[in-house]
Amino acid sequence: MTEETDEQLLNRITNGNFVGLNPGRVMLHGPTKLLIDAYYWHSPNKGIVAGYAPTERDVEDHFDVFRGVDQIEAFALASIVSCCAFLECRKLNCLPDVLKENFIPAFISVGQVNFHYYIELGDRFISIANIKSYKWRQMVCDGRIYKVPKDLDLDAYFSDFTEERLLNYDISKDFKLVAELFDITGRAIKKEVFKQI
Amino acid sequence: MERQEIVDEIIEVLRTVRTVDPSRLENVTEETDFLTDMNMPSTELINIAAKVEQKFDVEFEDDDIDSLGSTVKDVVDLIIKAKARGVS
Repeated sequence: MTEETDEQLLNRITNGNFVGLNPGRVMLHGPTKLLIDAYYWHSPNKGIVAGYAPTERDVEDHFDVFRGVDQIEAFALASIVSCCAFLECRKLNCLPDVLKENFIPAFISVGQVNFHYYIELGDRFISIANIKSYKWRQMVCDGRIYKVPKDLDLDAYFSDFTEERLLNYDISKDFKLVAELFDITGRAIKKEVFKQI
Repeated sequence: MERQEIVDEIIEVLRTVRTVDPSRLENVTEETDFLTDMNMPSTELINIAAKVEQKFDVEFEDDDIDSLGSTVKDVVDLIIKAKARGVS
């Protein structure tokens, strides 16, 4: 993953998507607890596939298991935060750094979450998110988290992924369903408004 | 359009919102608060704003929603503001 210049990133935002970009360029927080380290597929108005491999810090004091609440947070960062940041940057023709100066990415609601399996140290998981609605800087996503089969090349696997496959969670049965998430909702709130809340 | 007419139309919009208890629509006034008086989840305000936008054929800006309060009066004021903006 090579670091892009600001010009390259702006061109990506204007004409492309986040696939292959270092998520650290997008997240408004960090550098710790990004809980996302790769974008594998992205259709700006439809959804995203992003991944993460928990670190020792992530599972510390928790039986080497990645916590359920961190799964939800990871999904939110992959979905509402990443997708909303992309669309806002495109709308304002700016880089994520500019959003960082003006907005707080607020995680405002979690619908239902069903856990099916777990993630432990050494695993990699993906968040597959579809955008249900986006208006006035508020985004709602549904999606799933899957544990990734060992040694699978995710860049290659998702290179020909489609919106239709996203909506149907049409991926190999070798991926293990970890969680289903519904109505994950976030909003970019202006800093001055956020301080008044 | 008179303010009470706008309130009546907003009530019609609220009848289409799944999370609104119809019995709470009987005594709605401009002072009614969606969150405290109608027990509505705050995330529903965005859905109501979207429905109101369509019903009144107006367009709300991002900043309008940032500063939107949670009473019927706040929504009435916003509709009037958006209509005035659209008239120019």
